[in-house]
Amino acid sequence: MKDLNKLFYPESVAVIGASENILKWGSIIISNIMAGGFTGEVYPVSTTSQVIYGRNVSKTIADISKPVDMAVITVPAHSVPSVLEQCASANVKNVVIVSSGFSETNEAGKELEKKISDFASARGMNIVGPNTMGMANFKINLHAMFSHVRLTPGGISLMAQSGNVGNQIMYWAEQQSIGLSKFVGSGNEAVLMCEDYLDYFNTDSDTSVIIMYVEGVDNGRSFMEAARRTTPNKPVVLLKGGRTGIGSKAAMSHTGALAGSIRIFKSAMEQCGVCMVDTQSEMLTLAAAFDTMPLPKGNRIGVVTLGGGWGVITADECEEHGLVLPPLSDDVKERLNAMLPDFWSKGNPVDLVGQPDPHLFRESVEAMAASDSYDAIIFLGVINSFKTVLRLYHAAIKLGKDVQLDLAEMERRLDGLQSAFLDTIADLMEKYNKPIYPVALVSPPDQPVIHRSDKKGKYRAMIFKTPEDAVRCLAKQYGYAKYLQKIGRLQ
Amino acid sequence: MKEIILEAMKKKQKALSEYDSKRVIAKAGVTITRETLVTTKEAAVKAAMDIGMPVALKGCSPELMHKTEHGMVKVGLHTKDEVGIAFDELMSKGMKLDGILVQEMIDGDRLFVIGLTRDPQFGPCVMFGLGGIFTEVLHDVSFRVAPITMDDAYEMIEEIRTKEILGPFRGSPAVDKDLLVKALVGVGNLGVEFNEIAEIDINPLIVCDEKPIAVDALVILQEA
Repeated sequence: MKDLNKLFYPESVAVIGASENILKWGSIIISNIMAGGFTGEVYPVSTTSQVIYGRNVSKTIADISKPVDMAVITVPAHSVPSVLEQCASANVKNVVIVSSGFSETNEAGKELEKKISDFASARGMNIVGPNTMGMANFKINLHAMFSHVRLTPGGISLMAQSGNVGNQIMYWAEQQSIGLSKFVGSGNEAVLMCEDYLDYFNTDSDTSVIIMYVEGVDNGRSFMEAARRTTPNKPVVLLKGGRTGIGSKAAMSHTGALAGSIRIFKSAMEQCGVCMVDTQSEMLTLAAAFDTMPLPKGNRIGVVTLGGGWGVITADECEEHGLVLPPLSDDVKERLNAMLPDFWSKGNPVDLVGQPDPHLFRESVEAMAASDSYDAIIFLGVINSFKTVLRLYHAAIKLGKDVQLDLAEMERRLDGLQSAFLDTIADLMEKYNKPIYPVALVSPPDQPVIHRSDKKGKYRAMIFKTPEDAVRCLAKQYGYAKYLQKIGRLQ
Repeated sequence: MKEIILEAMKKKQKALSEYDSKRVIAKAGVTITRETLVTTKEAAVKAAMDIGMPVALKGCSPELMHKTEHGMVKVGLHTKDEVGIAFDELMSKGMKLDGILVQEMIDGDRLFVIGLTRDPQFGPCVMFGLGGIFTEVLHDVSFRVAPITMDDAYEMIEEIRTKEILGPFRGSPAVDKDLLVKALVGVGNLGVEFNEIAEIDINPLIVCDEKPIAVDALVILQEA
């Protein structure tokens, strides 16, 4: 396995081709590293400037008197081979080649790429790219990349074969308060391939979940082997680009004609326990769920709903995704009988018939979570329900009524109650070692997917926007749990 | 098994004949039709009597990848006379043949397909699915990268949309899944063991009572 530790945890970084031209790569990268709060050494290298963002510039990497753990190259493609040679002479083992103009362009570009890959491989150098938007390690505030995101450090590490897909996912993570550990854009994969990053993330103690955007793998078998090594330890979530491609070459047999690349890709991933998703947002949600919730150990789902058709929709979604809703067990019935009006459903889903009682919310979720009949709980319609009630007061005020309430104060108080309730859900997940999926009644666009608070503990509550989001996420988590059970890694 | 494949490679064959294809897959664990390769009418009649009427006669040659299109298949032969006439007809088509294959008729409504293909990234892959004329219409198939475990094989059987017909069906018993699993694992192993094999089609695999039996098979070889 390749040693990528100093690539992701460098103590000193050089940017070769650095500049202060804000929209050029040479500035984009170094300004991101410096403004992003990296505490290691940063060395700008340029043949044309003396000072960049207040730092003295070295003419070449050889002029830096101290060791450089990692270098980012932004010079034009034709200069890359000579710069790479200078890096080798200066004993720089880790290089990120941002420059484009290689195998993605034409035959000459291919040859140039071959040249650098042969050179680096012979010297055991780690090369990210070329034609990549860079890499990041959020734990040490290292942003050696295009995206100037500032997000919460977390356990999810992302590898993307496309820069803009990586960019979009990181901006979403920032907006939704989903914590990331590392990012790498693998670019043309001249030296380091996606399976190398997979192997590294597998051993990296700051990574708990791995997400990958993959358009193709050069060697399916070696990728499968890396995945097989990884999935017993950490979930791998993968989005495959190019699902509708031309398929396999014209084949003589019917079997060959039926194959098509995506079917085989999906089967291969299933064989090694990788979770395939269909969209970027599903990928991020599922990764967040793996990172912040316990796994469902089985497919028996308990549903609690504030009322109405949501329970029905959720039951349908569960059925369609291989999950079951066992009838309500007697222990849960008894606990809830005391709290609900006589006419309550007494079935699964449990219908709270609109009772706005925070104590009941907690009790009903706990009763279900405590029951041996269920492996996971979906809780519908309570989160943000108070926001719909506030609208009633606003209407009355608009019509001239003095409601004798400080609505802003009321909203803050209810927000506080809700935040405490979400923390309770996180506690219940820890207490019963079962995931609980709160689905919001309404979702303000700025509400993070993961509930952040000062609460300590193993897990965090997530807020799902729709029942189907929750069910699909749950079903994929269960699929992974089933894989772990099959290989004997989970009871 | 190895001799059959190497011999065919030496002769620069593109494929194995049905007879040789079946000998190879039978060794790998697939149940095949009872059949005899003959070159004379007398031997054909004797083979038919030994197997038991009715029988099918097929022209057998590595060049014949699409026997039905060439009129090289005669089915439902019930008497010695019918067998004799069919033999003469097949021989008179002027095709270069290894011989005539005398084969038992398998009666069953449930048709499946097992296959092997080579994916450019993942190498040999096993396929299972609904067979017969609907294979190409419904695309109801599942794949696994070889080699596969018995668990993999069970999973891929469960993965097809029409898996209900594997259960008890119109008075027939449930299909013996263990035999399917054995066949799938065996075909996967062939793909891993023999780089000379490019692709395999076992279609149809007809279920008789509960037993899936390979009625036709084609092993396609790599170009030398």
